[in-house]
Amino acid sequence: MSVPVRVADPLRLPLELELFEGPLDLLLTLVLREEIELAELPLRELVAATLSGGVAWDPPTTGELVVLLCSLAELKARRLVGDDDEDEYGPDPEAELVRERLAAQLIAFAPFQRAGVWLRTQDGIDGAVRYRRAPLALPERALARHDPRDLADAVARLMAAAPAPSLGHMNRQRVNVGEIVAELRGALKRTGRVSFDQMTSGADRLAEGMTLIACLELARRGEARLAQPVPFGDITVQRHVTGTGA
Amino acid sequence: MSEPDLTRALEALLFVSPEPLSLVRLCELTEAAPGPVQHALGELGARHDASSGLEIAEVAGGWVLRSQADLGEVCDRLRARPPEERLSPAALETLAVIAYLEPISRPEITRLRGVSAEATVASLLERGMIEEAGRPHDGGAMRYRTTPAFQERFGLRGAGDLPPITEFELSGEEAEAVRRRLREAGHLADDLT
Repeated sequence: MSVPVRVADPLRLPLELELFEGPLDLLLTLVLREEIELAELPLRELVAATLSGGVAWDPPTTGELVVLLCSLAELKARRLVGDDDEDEYGPDPEAELVRERLAAQLIAFAPFQRAGVWLRTQDGIDGAVRYRRAPLALPERALARHDPRDLADAVARLMAAAPAPSLGHMNRQRVNVGEIVAELRGALKRTGRVSFDQMTSGADRLAEGMTLIACLELARRGEARLAQPVPFGDITVQRHVTGTGA
Repeated sequence: MSEPDLTRALEALLFVSPEPLSLVRLCELTEAAPGPVQHALGELGARHDASSGLEIAEVAGGWVLRSQADLGEVCDRLRARPPEERLSPAALETLAVIAYLEPISRPEITRLRGVSAEATVASLLERGMIEEAGRPHDGGAMRYRTTPAFQERFGLRGAGDLPPITEFELSGEEAEAVRRRLREAGHLADDLT
């Protein structure tokens, strides 16, 4: 398939900035095309007119606006002063590298720009073919008749309030160290000595941990003494009566 | 089914179908072999010549009965097309990138275009011109491909029915002209073009 395509020069295409579009885009395009003499353009007045429009710019648009205005200012400065730097000191290698990278990108993308132009010639929107859009009618079986009462029942089931969800599984187990301390005190008062393993028999890890903390608390207060003859073995909690009878 | 009947049946099927019908589907529906169906499609095409308001065309992987191109305007009086259906140059360029390189991700499109393709890709998705084509096996960004609606709109027989991309490449002279103008424009053009 070979179709002659008339393609716009990539550098002569209108600028398309992501956010900022307006007369400044056009102005910059005309400047780049050298259709406006930038040296005669009063940039200060242009900036003042732009900013006095009473428009509340959002940050991204303001950013692009600043880039646009700065670009115009730098272009004007270059036009007025001339590019003597390069003549005097030779070409800037970094600028050359950036320029070549940009050129490579433009050249790589140019085929797709041309393909886009070709697609426009193929676009079936303007003065072109039209397709049937009417959907096929539903087959008879899809329109099977139902008893209205069945329909009412079905709707009623849909509208019935759903049972409240059970939150039973979300109950958090609460262990009160104070209660365990009191329980431990009571046991020590009655028997004088208790086994940690017996106290926590059947308890979960949280209760075991809290019981250990309760034992340590009693030991810290001097109300009990702890003994664990074998590492990881049972802990014996023995009542310790102080002089004050705590 | 006799040949005239087969031709009539195909015409009726293409008339009522809202989407292109492939040769296989036409064979299934008419219970005829591919050879006679293709022959009948030829007959049908001859019947719907330039003097007819309709034409037979192979598009988007199937056959359709559609209005002649010069009748688009009068058809639009029946079914007005909103202006937003038109695609901007940026959308057409993005569509071209996807059509030639599909499946392709949005970051890849952005790298090629040099500007963000987010809004354009979203717009093309909304218009049904492209669709998601899944993510690569090793993860990464969602990739996109063109749809049968795209092929239908641009009169393509199927995916990949495009002119070779090499036909659109810049010649050496054109590429050199790009470099020359960049030099003339100064490095500012790097940020603005």
